[in-house]
Amino acid sequence: MEMTVNIVRMIERDQIEEFSFGDELSLKEKLAIGFLNPKDFDKLGLVKSLHIKLSNKYGDVIISQVRDEKVPEGIVLMPVSIWSNQITGVENGNIIYKDLKVEVEPTRDPILQFKDLIAKIKKKK
Amino acid sequence: MIRINCSGCSLLCDDIFVNTNGSIIDQVIGACKKGKQRLDQLNAKNRITSPMIRKNKELKKVSWEEALNKVKEIIKNSSKPILYGFSTSSCEAQLKGIELAKKINGFIDSNSIICQGKVLNVAKDSGITLTTLAEIINKADLLILWGANIADSIPRLLNKALFSRGKFRLTGREIKTIIMIDPIKTASFEVMQMRDTALYIQLGKDIDLIRFLKENISIDREIIENKIAGLDKEDIKRLIINLMNAEYGVIFVGQGLLKSNPEYNILKELIELVRAINSKNEKGRLSLVFLGGHYNMVGFEHVALSFYGKNHSLQFSDNLLVNTNDTIVNKVANDDFDCSVIVGTDPISNFPSFLSSKLASKPLILIDNKKSATMEVADVFLPSSLTGLECEGLAYRFDHVPIQLKKILNPPSDVLSDEEILNNIIKEINKK
Repeated sequence: MEMTVNIVRMIERDQIEEFSFGDELSLKEKLAIGFLNPKDFDKLGLVKSLHIKLSNKYGDVIISQVRDEKVPEGIVLMPVSIWSNQITGVENGNIIYKDLKVEVEPTRDPILQFKDLIAKIKKKK
Repeated sequence: MIRINCSGCSLLCDDIFVNTNGSIIDQVIGACKKGKQRLDQLNAKNRITSPMIRKNKELKKVSWEEALNKVKEIIKNSSKPILYGFSTSSCEAQLKGIELAKKINGFIDSNSIICQGKVLNVAKDSGITLTTLAEIINKADLLILWGANIADSIPRLLNKALFSRGKFRLTGREIKTIIMIDPIKTASFEVMQMRDTALYIQLGKDIDLIRFLKENISIDREIIENKIAGLDKEDIKRLIINLMNAEYGVIFVGQGLLKSNPEYNILKELIELVRAINSKNEKGRLSLVFLGGHYNMVGFEHVALSFYGKNHSLQFSDNLLVNTNDTIVNKVANDDFDCSVIVGTDPISNFPSFLSSKLASKPLILIDNKKSATMEVADVFLPSSLTGLECEGLAYRFDHVPIQLKKILNPPSDVLSDEEILNNIIKEINKK
């Protein structure tokens, strides 16, 4: 299903806080996450235990998901993090953090650990 | 108890009280979650207090001498160094960073280039009506949050702007109207009351609303369209009435409005809208406020502009500033660099992954105080102190007002300020 991702600052899911005080598990739990409207949750046939895979021309990422009535239909909200930046890109010299078109699908595949993402970044060298 | 300015965000709150014996802080009054987090970083479990060099794929603790030697080696072997970050450094450190860039014929940019730095560029051509926090507190009667979730980015700004009584009024919250323009019901919506308006604009349609308002900014004008940018015409009418009747209106512009588009420049059109309203509004004034989160994001622009006549993206050659249209984004995207010096920021987390991979592929020197994704790929890590707590320095508040930050504690023994570290790098490079 096609949806739009908006990457935003969330005071309760702040990467500086996680890097300062957390560990790799808390980083993943707090930051590898997307919020979506309950109607989209139903359309995707999601249950709590399922993850979602977001893919676009820039890349793909698997994250956990939470129903949130405040999020409008068709949108996935993500906190700024190394996970959300797997699907961001550059257009006209600017980094695009908003209105990112993505294909969303439910998955049972695991979420990449922080250290795996770092290895992926290093591997692309 | 002593009174300090908080360096948790760009509001630089001046009403924070702490109790300290010079070594630890044991009581804090007045700080928000972000301010508390900043203070807690003093003793954070992931704080790094020793210089480190990557050996056999792992960062190992070394002496400052060895770390600086490695930095010198990396820089000496480089012909296209880039420096990036500086929005959580003092103005003195920012100036020292530019001095280093000049010395090594490098390119330097700050975080503001991917955030609010775009604003001053647009304003250069057209001028801009800005305001200050004091004016907002004392005079504002209309607050518009456009794509700005202040509650999560600059938490105490709403308290100060919305609930203050101000010097020139006998009333406070009761005469202040707040209008939220956002596609998403963010945490900032929680402060809304009966008189306030929530405008759930269609995602990416802000330009339609700006253009409609530019052409129809009159209380008497009949609105024919039923919907504009997903908003009902009655809501638009209410917005126009508020814009035209405000004695002191302020539009807080957030990241949500800063998305670039090759077909139009939304900031330019927003500035034109404000000018159009002000030209028609006889009794009041509308101003813009741009919200950068990091505590000294605005500072780099002032330092660079004051000393070098350009507010960002400075390229040096033969120790002279040269013209360039490059920014940090296309320098990295085009592989137009061969090493990087990153100061107080985490581009490996914050940049798209293909840019992160390019940064990680070349020698990277990181000056910071904590673990980060960038630390995981850094070749050298130099530990820095926390400005406004362990070292003093000048910072510019979000409204471009300079504020002196104090030192109230001694840093850990092996930790230096950003300014001292950058100065030591320059000294090391100067050595034969």
